[in-house]
This record gives sequence, structure tokens and C-alpha cells, in this order.
Amino acid sequence: MIQLFHVSKFFKRCTALHDVTVRIEKGESILLTGPSGAGKTTFLKLIFGAEIPDEGQILVQNRNIARLREADIPYLRRTMGFVLQNFKLLPQKTVFENVVLPLIIQGVSRAESKKKVSEALKSVGMGHKHASQTGVISAGEQQRVCIARAIVNHPIILLADEPTGNLDTELTSDIVELFKKIHARGTTVLLATHNQTVVEKMNGRVLHLHAGRLVSDKGPTA
Amino acid sequence: MRRPLYLIQEAFTSLRVNRMSVTIGIVTTAFTISCFGVFVLLYDNLKNLAGTLQHDIEVVVYVQPEASVQVVERVRQRLDSEQAVRELVFVSKGDALKEFYQQFPDESTLLEGMEENPLPASFVVQIAPGFQEADSIEAFTERVKQFPGVQQVRYSQDWIDTLALLVSYFEFGAIIIGVTLAVATITIIANTVRLSFYARKEEIEILRLIGATGSFIATPYVIEGAILGLCGGGLALVLLKGMFEFFRLELNASGWFSGLESVLTFFPHETSVFLVLSGMLLGCGSSVLSVCGLMKIRNDTA
Repeated sequence: MIQLFHVSKFFKRCTALHDVTVRIEKGESILLTGPSGAGKTTFLKLIFGAEIPDEGQILVQNRNIARLREADIPYLRRTMGFVLQNFKLLPQKTVFENVVLPLIIQGVSRAESKKKVSEALKSVGMGHKHASQTGVISAGEQQRVCIARAIVNHPIILLADEPTGNLDTELTSDIVELFKKIHARGTTVLLATHNQTVVEKMNGRVLHLHAGRLVSDKGPTA
Repeated sequence: MRRPLYLIQEAFTSLRVNRMSVTIGIVTTAFTISCFGVFVLLYDNLKNLAGTLQHDIEVVVYVQPEASVQVVERVRQRLDSEQAVRELVFVSKGDALKEFYQQFPDESTLLEGMEENPLPASFVVQIAPGFQEADSIEAFTERVKQFPGVQQVRYSQDWIDTLALLVSYFEFGAIIIGVTLAVATITIIANTVRLSFYARKEEIEILRLIGATGSFIATPYVIEGAILGLCGGGLALVLLKGMFEFFRLELNASGWFSGLESVLTFFPHETSVFLVLSGMLLGCGSSVLSVCGLMKIRNDTA
């Protein structure tokens, strides 16, 4: 599903990732851990084609990211879902309008979109708020909407960068439960976090990064 | 159907959100297109005027005062046999005097003290089509000057030539000014679109993240530019029509160049449509230029 071969990424004099080699299988739950600046975000950015590795190769669904034309990147991204710490929602639009965006981009029909959005919102417990403006709902609800948007087109891979960074403990637990549910459906989940509670609750394979190096790779506890 | 509708909606949302910069963009576009339009209108009317004058070109052949009736008749016969003559009218000394009094009633005292009518008899020659070029008229007048009994030959070619030269200068000027103003319009619309692009940077980042292609992101801005250019072109047309009618009324009221106002014409419908559509095309082009450089997919911040 995802393979990194001796991948390095440098930003000016700073090394974001150094000689990382890892193989992620379909349906795995991956937790990218490490302190701030360890290279977690860069790892994710390389996978969705926002960055090109300076050294090494990355294969995502058998496609070499470095050799991918810019015009093909949007199509790669349509097979993935993204959840970010700062939600990245459009505040002037409603919950429904935010979640339906990936489907509009892909040219899905109105009736099918409505059905898929409704399912996605229901699965994150936001079905009743579909008409609310995203600018006025709580942070926890915004993160749920963000997750609904990420899963609305049934992605093969779900990438999440510090998805609980802006949430309290209770909301964090709710969000982790959602990710577990999504993973249980067969979606490959890659979650970057430095929150130990999230790591423990997710109970996935843990890739620990430090100063751009992959220092440990531990499987889930039985 | 969903996607085009969304893209159009987004364009209108952007126009609504950036009302101020869009209004400024429309007004400045209208102003620049109007400047070009004024020039084209002037060029068009001068060209019409030159064409009308060229068509009605007259050569006046003055007969020697002492010429006998037979000599005058021979001049008429020789003029009649010329291919360059379309129409020939004889103006006797008496007719010339009457015409003078009619045309210059205030100056009639000038001739009061004179015993004899000083105005010569003449033939007014209308030049036939195909002989209205400067060289042909020149050759014709040179031949006529040699006719016995002819005192002088006069025609208005000089200032018609000057007018034609002026028209050709205007033609050249219209191209230069047109290109300059087109560049100015492109810059104005491109900047307006760029401003609205930057205002929605966050939204564009989100769209990129969820798999929107460059064309999907750019289309609302191209539509926005087209609407902006269309409105600018339309407003320019309204301004030009208003200015044209005002100028024609003023000209009429002033009494100067009487008859000129009937020669003045506004753009034909095709040119009007072209002017508005060119505004729209400029708008589209500006938007494409403006957003093309901002369509990088890689290195986006997530």
C-alpha cells in the first residue's frame, strides 16, 4: 500500500526526514509519534504528494510519488482522506456544504452525494447539524465534520495530522473511537500525534520519529 | 450538472464578497475600454467623413473674364469629353454673385462700390468614381489648365489628403492605444482577480487537499474575470453612447459645422457587441494569466 525506501527530505539546512524505510500494508493502523519537529507532518506530506523526497523513493498504491506529474496529484489525493489539527473547514459554508465538497470535485451526482454525506455525517454523530454553519459549531463538532469530509468518498487511506491537538480529553476519546471505527471498516489509517492517550487507545503499529529518523517500529499490543 | 453550477456559484460568491475591489475593477475597465472606444469612434467618423468628402469631390474650372461665349462653349465641350467628369454645372458670373450674397450676406458691402461684377464664371466638375485618387485629379487639372479660355483650376484635394493622412495616423494610433489600453485592462482585471484569489487562499488550500484539479480551482476566477470584463465593456458602451449623444447635441446647439452632426455615427451593433465581448475576453485572459502562476499543487501547506 505505502512504501518508503531510504527517504530523506531537507528544508534548507534542516533535515526533516533522514533515511526512512518503512512498509505499510493495506488496512493497517499506523501511529506516527515523536516530539514536535520530529518529521511527522513531513512524512504525511510526502505521502499525499505535497512534497517530493530529496532522496529515496515513495510508492503509494504502486505509484511513485516523485515521478507523479502535478496534474495527477489531485487524482491520488481523491483516494485519501485528510484530517487536520486546525480542521480546515470553510466557516461561511454549512456542515453539509463542507462535507459534500470532495464529491462535487469528483463529479458525483446530486442524489448520490446527498446519500453519501448523510451517511458520513451520521457515522460521526453530526447528522442533525447538517444545516449549521461550521463557523458557529464547537471545536469537537468541527473535527467530526472534518472527519466526515475525509471519509465521505470512502478513501483507501486516511491521513490525520494531530487530529486531537485542539480538543480536550473527553473529545479526544470520542475522536479516537471514530478513527477506530473507520479503521475497522478496512481503511488504512495514518495518524500523527504526540498524545500518548491517543496512541494507547488506538492500539496500532507505532512508528516513532526523532529528529527526522525512524527510531522505532512497534506493532500493536495483543 | 452539479459541478458547473458550483463553479458559477463560487464565482458569484467571490464577486459578492469582494464587492469593493470588483466595483473598482469594473469602473477602471470601463474607463480604459471607453478611452479606446472614443479613439475608435473618432477614427470611424473621420474615416466616414473622408469617404463622404472623397465621393463628393469637386473641381472648379474658372473661365477667363474676357472669354467669349464660343470659348466658354468649347471649354464645356472639352470638359464633357473627359472621362474623369461625372457631372458638369456651369456657374455664370451672375450666378456666382448670387451665390456669394447667399453664402456671405454680412460681406455683401464688399462688392457694393464696384462697377462690374468681379466674380468669374466657372464650371463645377464632379469627379467620376475611379478618378478620385489624388494622382488622377492632379493629371486631370493639369490637362484642363491647358484648355484655351481657362484661367484657373481649383479643387479641395489638399485638405482631403490631409484628412486621409490624419485618418491613417488615427488608424496607427488606434492600434498603439488599443494595445496599451488592453494591457492596462488586463493588468487591472488580473490584479482584481488575484486579490480575490488571495482572499480565498485558505479555501484554495482546502480544495487542493481534497483533490481539486487546477482547472477546478481556476474556473470560478476565470468566470469572475469574464463577468468583470463583460460589465466593464457594457458600462463602457453606455458611457460612450452617452458621451456621443451629448457631443452631437452640443454640436447641433452650437451651430458650428452645421450638417456635420448628420454625418456622425455611433458604432454599428456588431462593433458594440464586439466591444462588450472584447471586455469579456480580456477579463477571461487576465484571470487565466493571473491564476495560472498560483496553481502549484506541490508544496502546499496542510
